[in-house]
Formats: sequence, C-alpha cells, structure tokens
Amino acid sequence: MATLLRSRLVPLLTLLAGIAASASAQSAAPPTTRAHVERLASPSMEGRLAGSPGEQQAAQYLVEQLTRMGARPLPGQTSMLSPFTFTAGSKDGGSSITVTRGTTPSTFRSSTEVQALSFSDSAEVSGPVVFAGYGIVVPSSATFGYDSYQGLDVKDRIVVVLRYFPEDADATTRAALARYSDLRYKAQAARQRGAKALVVITGPRSPNAGAVVPMSFDTALAGSGLVAASASGAVAEAIFTALDDKTLEGVQKEFDAGNPHTTGFAIPNLTLTVSARVVREQQTGRNVVAYLPATPAAAASRPWVVIGAHYDHLGRGSAGNSLAAADQAGQIHHGADDNASGTAAVLAIADALARVPRKRHLVVAFWSGEELGLIGSTAFVNAPPVPIAEMAAYLNFDMVGRSTDNKLTVQATGTSPAWPRLLEQANVAAGFDLVLQEDPYQPTDVSSFNGVGVASLAFFTGAHTDYHKPSDTAEKINYDDLDRIAGFAGTIARRLLDADEPPLFTKVEQKTDTGGRAGLRIFTGTIPDYATEVKGLLLGGVIGGGPAEQAGLQKGDIIVELAGQSIANIYDYTYALDLLKIGQPATVVYTRGSARRTTTLTPSARK
Amino acid sequence: MTPRIWPALALLCIGAVTLGAQAPPAPADNRERDYLSRVRRLTVEGRRAGEGYWSPDGTRLVFQSERDPANPFYQIYTLDFATGDTKRVSPGTGKTTCAFFRPGTDQILFASTHHDPRSLQLQKEELDFRASGKERRYAWDYDPEMDIYAVAESSGTLTRLTTARGYDAEAGYSPDGQWIVFSSMRDAYNRTLTAAEQKQLETDPSYFGEIYIMKADGTDQRRLTTAAGYDGGPFFTTKGDRIVWRRFDEQGLIADIWTMKPDGSDKRQVTAFKAMSWAPYEHPSGEYLLFASNKLGFENFEVFVVDTAGTKEPVRITYSDGFDGLPVPSPDGRQVAFTSSRSGGGAGQIFLAQWNHEAVRTALAAAPPR
Repeated sequence: MATLLRSRLVPLLTLLAGIAASASAQSAAPPTTRAHVERLASPSMEGRLAGSPGEQQAAQYLVEQLTRMGARPLPGQTSMLSPFTFTAGSKDGGSSITVTRGTTPSTFRSSTEVQALSFSDSAEVSGPVVFAGYGIVVPSSATFGYDSYQGLDVKDRIVVVLRYFPEDADATTRAALARYSDLRYKAQAARQRGAKALVVITGPRSPNAGAVVPMSFDTALAGSGLVAASASGAVAEAIFTALDDKTLEGVQKEFDAGNPHTTGFAIPNLTLTVSARVVREQQTGRNVVAYLPATPAAAASRPWVVIGAHYDHLGRGSAGNSLAAADQAGQIHHGADDNASGTAAVLAIADALARVPRKRHLVVAFWSGEELGLIGSTAFVNAPPVPIAEMAAYLNFDMVGRSTDNKLTVQATGTSPAWPRLLEQANVAAGFDLVLQEDPYQPTDVSSFNGVGVASLAFFTGAHTDYHKPSDTAEKINYDDLDRIAGFAGTIARRLLDADEPPLFTKVEQKTDTGGRAGLRIFTGTIPDYATEVKGLLLGGVIGGGPAEQAGLQKGDIIVELAGQSIANIYDYTYALDLLKIGQPATVVYTRGSARRTTTLTPSARK
Repeated sequence: MTPRIWPALALLCIGAVTLGAQAPPAPADNRERDYLSRVRRLTVEGRRAGEGYWSPDGTRLVFQSERDPANPFYQIYTLDFATGDTKRVSPGTGKTTCAFFRPGTDQILFASTHHDPRSLQLQKEELDFRASGKERRYAWDYDPEMDIYAVAESSGTLTRLTTARGYDAEAGYSPDGQWIVFSSMRDAYNRTLTAAEQKQLETDPSYFGEIYIMKADGTDQRRLTTAAGYDGGPFFTTKGDRIVWRRFDEQGLIADIWTMKPDGSDKRQVTAFKAMSWAPYEHPSGEYLLFASNKLGFENFEVFVVDTAGTKEPVRITYSDGFDGLPVPSPDGRQVAFTSSRSGGGAGQIFLAQWNHEAVRTALAAAPPR
C-alpha cells in the first residue's frame, strides 16, 4: 500500500478541452465523440459483429483515426490490425443415438430427438449404460454432501443423467445442488469418472419435459473431452423400457426428493451408441492496437499505459445474445452505447494525449469479440505484443454514453491502492456523482487485464432498456457527459503517463459464491441495474409481459426479499433465484420510493 | 461519525448503517433536488472523511480523513478545487480533528494529540486491532490530550494554543481572524468532582463540554456557557456578531441549536425540535442556519435549515437514509459541503452540491411558525 502515484510533477490538467486548446493552433480540431459514435453506429457498419464485413469497416475507420493522430503499430508489428481466430458458432452436424436391446437396434437421428451438446467432442462411442440420477457432484469442500456417482462404476460406460436438479427438494438442498447442475459441470463429473459419453434427458417432471437441449452458442469452446449429447423423451423411453420394474417418471420422482442416498443404477442388457457431431465455424476477428510513443520516444519511462474499448457489437443479433423483441429480431443492432460510446471516448482521449508531452508510451486498443466472450482482449493478453510486466495500467470504457443524473460508475477500483486518490483528484474538477465498485470481475475487457495482474479501471454509465437491442442508437447518447467522461478519464490517463511510479496491482478476491447457473433455467423478467449500488436489487427495468411485469414490478423498484431470502446484492438475488420453482408463486418484497411493498411473482421456464 | 457529535450517538449512527443491510434504503428522494443539485462525492481516498470547511476565498476545503496507511486516526488535509490535489497539514502522528482556515493569514487551526508520547503506540494498537479482522463500532473518544494548534502553511510552524487537561477541540475563527471559539471539557479536570460527576466523566466526558473563546494567539481564554450537558460545535456567524452552537440536555439525548453574542450574553434557543439537532452553520446570507437532526428517525440524520431567529419550523433539505450532516455552505453561499454515508460502506465521506438559496428561502418563508 505504500507506493502511491506521486503527482507533484504533473502539471495541472483539468479537462480534455484544456488539453486540446493548448494545441489547437497547430492542427484542426479532431472529430467529436458524436461524430465517432454516429459513424460507428451507422447502418453501413451493420452492427460490427466480430468477423463480419461491418467489423472490418469499423476497424478500418479506427486505423484511419489512429494514423491521423500519429499513433503507430506496436513495436515489432507492421499493422495496427491484430487478427485472432475464434469460433463464431456451433451447430449439430448430424448426431445420432442407437439403442440396442439384445440384437434390436433403434436409431434416433432427428434434431428433435438428439442434439450434441455444444461442448461435446465429435466422435462415436458405444457401451453399456449407467443411469446416474441428476449427475450432480457437490464438491466435498461444500457443507452439503451429494454425489450422484456414489457407488456407481461408470468407467467406459455411457452415463445417462437428468437435466436440471431435484425438483421437490427443500429450498436449501435445491440451492446447494443447483449451483452444480450446469451441463458443463455434469460433463466434467462424468469424464473425471472415466465415462465414455454423457447423455442428458429432460425428465417428465421437469420444465421443458422431454425436450432436447438446444445447441447453444458457447464461446468458451474448449471441448469437454467427452462425447455429450441430449436426447428426447422418446429416446429416454427406449432406454428405460429395458427396466421391467421402473418407469423414468417413477425414477425421477425418487431423485426429486433430493435425498443424497438415492442412488443410480446400471441399465442391463442395453448398449448405447452415441455419435455426436459438432460443427464449429472458425472466423477471424481483428483487434486494432497502436501506440502513441513517449516524447521523446527514446526517453520513455516504463511501464506503459493502456487505454481501450471494444468496438464490436452484435451485428443482427444472430449470436444468441440479442435481447431484441420478436418483432425486431434480425435487425441491425447499432450498439451506439455498446460500445461506439467507449470507442469514441478512447479516440477522444488519445487525440488529446497525442498533443501533449508524454513520459510513457500509451497503447490505444480497440477490441473485437468482446460480445462473444472477451475474445479479442483475451487473445491480446494471452499473446501480448508488449510484455504484461511492461503494462502499468489499463483503462477500459464500455457503455459510457448513457449517463443520467450526473452519475458515472467506475469499476475495478480495488485493483490498485493508487486509484482512490487519482479518482478523487480528477473528479474534483470533473464533478461526477461517482459510483465506485472495487470488483474487477466485470463482464467487459477489464477482466482480461485484471486477470493478468494489470491495475485497471472500467468506466460505465449503466444498463438501460435498449441494451443489446436494435434500439441502442446514436441519437440516444448523452454526448455532453460522454465528453466529460473522456475528459475525466483523460486526466487520469495523463497523470498515469506522467507519474514517477506506476500504480501497484492489488489482487481482488473473486466472489465465488455467485449462485448457480441453474438460476438460468427460470425466467423472472427482471433487468437488474448493475451500475447503481443500493442495498437490494435495483431494477433497471422489467421485460414486457414477463413475470416481473405481471407482478407489478417496475423500473426503480428495489427487491429486498425474494422467496424468504433477504436480498442485499446481485449475488444474493442470483442465489435466491435457485430457490424458485417454475410456475410456483414466490413472494417478493420490494421498496418503491419510501414505500415497502409485497407482491407475488410466478416464474416461467426459460426457453 | 465526527467529534462534533455526542459519542453514543456517533456509535449508533454508524451502527445504523451497518444494520441497514436488513432494511434497504429507498432511493434518494427527488425532493432533495429542490435544494441540492449535482450532488456528488468529493473525497474518495481512505476509510472515512468529514468536517469539510471552506477557505475564506472558497478555493479550498480543509477536512479530516483517515487516509494514511500508517495512521488509523484522522489527520487534517487541504483540498484544492482547482487542481484536485490534497495536502496533509497536520503532524501525521496522533489524532486530529476539526480544522478551520484563519481568515487573512496562511494559518489553519485544528485539534491534535500528537504531543501525547503514547501516540505511535496507540496508532499501532489500533492498526493491529483492525488487522485482526475484528470490528468495533466507531465512536469518538474525547481524548483528554486533545489540544488546539495552529499551523502556518508556508513555514509549517506549529503553535500550541491550549494546554488545559481535557478535550479542547471543535474550534473556529471569527471572520476577522482575531478570535477562536471552541469547546472544552476542562471543567472535568480543573476542580474536584463529586462522586456522581466522576462516574459521569468515566461514562461520558462530553457532559462537561462547554463553549470557550480565546484570542487567536491562545491568550485570554474565557468560558461562555455553564449549563450542564454537552455544549459544542460553535462557529461565528458570517458577520462575527454572534456564535451558533448546539446544546445537549443533561441526558445527552436531545440537542438544540442556540446562538449567543461572542461575550456569552443574549443566549437564544433557535430550535425546539425534540431531536438531536446539531452541527449548525450560518448561511452567508445571514438569513438561516444549516444543521443536522435525527428528527426523522434515531439513526437517520438529515440536513435541515431554520431561520436565524428560530421563528419557524425547520425545513428538511436532504432525503437519504443513514447519515447526512455537518453541512457547511461555501463563502459565496452557492455550494454546500456535507458529510454523508450515502455512498455506502458505512463510513462517511465528504459530498459537495450546488445550493439553491432561492428555493431554500422560499421554503423557509412558507414554513409554519414554531
């Protein structure tokens, strides 16, 4: 905690306008943030989906801007374009399951009967079958003991498991099990026990009964090292017919009680052949990375300072992360706030800093593939053109165009003891109503840099109802405040460039207890406001026609209790979601203004 | 929260914020915007900060903050509004509190215990306690070592102005810079206490707090109040013709705002608010006083205003659960610095807002008579 930035040598720098003014005599004023946003969010950029022509066009624009301001490709590079390959999508390439009893095979091939799981290996395997209940293993470190594989030998077997987690268990048990019910986690458990394949069936007592798991777009595409597929109720029926004394529904009912002593069993006289084929489409995305050398470059202090923003967006929303209403599906998602705004802020800061003396090199980076899972920034830090140890600090800008009420959220402030003073100093003049969040584990590129130990900050003006929709358009941007944010962050960047000592990195422990992924199977129609820190869960909005709206909840309400669980933050909320049952009313206590109210919300199934 | 508050109250006040996890606050009420705009957190660094007082030209603020990793207690800092730079002006060791710019000079006064030879030991004990992961509720201890100092910013020369045994603090200069009004608990140490008084001293020394005045060089120290119960937090009015302060009752539960002439005569009670009303400061217009009160809930302090003569019911200014207090208007009367727990985390930080003087006047004019 000792080495804080010493800023005595830093000349006063208030706002960007001030920086630019000092140099305005030398060259024409650079484009405004508005001009950048309008260009990047224009229809010709087609929503800037990573790997698309629209992304390439946007990259070209950024290269032109960087070139204009005198930035150069990083040392050792010939271009500012830094390509990376990624898996742009996956589809089932014709998977099948053959159930063989005695000598009678029946084969299921239809996509409504069999779908490979997106993380499956592409291979065909055959073997005897073991049914392992819900296939859930709660690690021994947890307080609650549960192991679906207890007493079962699944080595070289094909494991059949139920999707989700026990439906009838008490709330505590459900919560304990829910967080280990993710299909990837189930696949991992099966693989670790030597299984040849995992077949997932949606039990007759579960939501989406009998349905196959749709092939989801999964960007974390490292294969699971296992053949994994989901099968329909008809396939399940064909398997369970081998049992004289049991039905699938009866078996599921036993497991649904959540009793950890309910055990699976081998299914005799049966061979399964699982042929999974996952076709993954590889594409190339482009980061745009350049640097403004120190002045003079030969006298550069190390390490460097990095500023960045992702410039990609959702294209027409084909990648599965669009929130467009049905009647807007397939339209261009312009991404003016997400993240033409952050891109424009970085351009504006770079433009200003290009015109002043710099003791350190400044890397200016525009990431692609952020919307698909931080792919561009991850590729950068995994193969850094500048050694990680030579990057002192990273400032990230993602969705900074919708400031309201003078609010600005700054995240990842826990990554260095230097941040509070720098933020305090710069904000005396900037005057934002700052919302500070220490947590660097954010769904934006700041995570990539925090992950490799670079002190980071992420600037953010909050989620809104146009988030990930075609309606995120340029005329809705608050340009005055976007310029102020660029000025504020530019002041911090300049102090970093001029500081004698770089900021120390501090590791912030990740809150691992973030609730189960299984909360995802239920749908409440709430849109949490992640930007505003309140005690409880502040709703940034509710999805039209969804359970929350039907319950009378609205934007601005703060949920303080759900299903008997007190809610202090988003983690509590996620955790409480695990306790909800589809179709079963849950009590919601919330505050609206100063009034404390109670309503009933009935979750539906997420399709 | 701050030394200008009764200890049990400070304890409750911070405790409330922690307990508040069970009862989430409603969002800040929009009514606050009638009087305050561009509300924002000014101090960021450190565990807590408070008691921000303006320089006479309005270009700087002097405040106390726990931001030195080596010292867990408040030290005094100035903040320059033009550069955003902060500078420590107190010695760095021991405890300090309650700073004030001396008009017409480069001096700043504050109370400090750094002459206490146990200072480093006490710092270490507190740091070790915090490192142990234990928590205790924040409470001001009315350290009897606390004495008033003035530091000259250009030379760093430190002048000790009080030496009496007992807490001397909560000081402010007269507008001409020639006088200092302050609070002292010396009465508990300069005479033989009865058994009941001795017990009182052990449980709550602030009971002995009285208002004193002295010349800016520390001479001519005179006592202005004699009523039982904590008299503290005095400031001169803008014109310097009166002193505003707050007086607790003997039980230390109810406090009200009072004013008097600098010679101690003509004491007038401004509020009868049946709550803990404290930290009064006059608006430079001379028309009204800003103060904090827990009128709306024992643990919920809000900023209020009341006309200087106290003929009206006070008007509520802030709408935020937890602590809003220590309001200090800028010399031009167009901004206010105050201490608030609204950014969460339990501890207070200094906030800044634009002050809508006209709206406040209008609301006061419409307020019912007391």
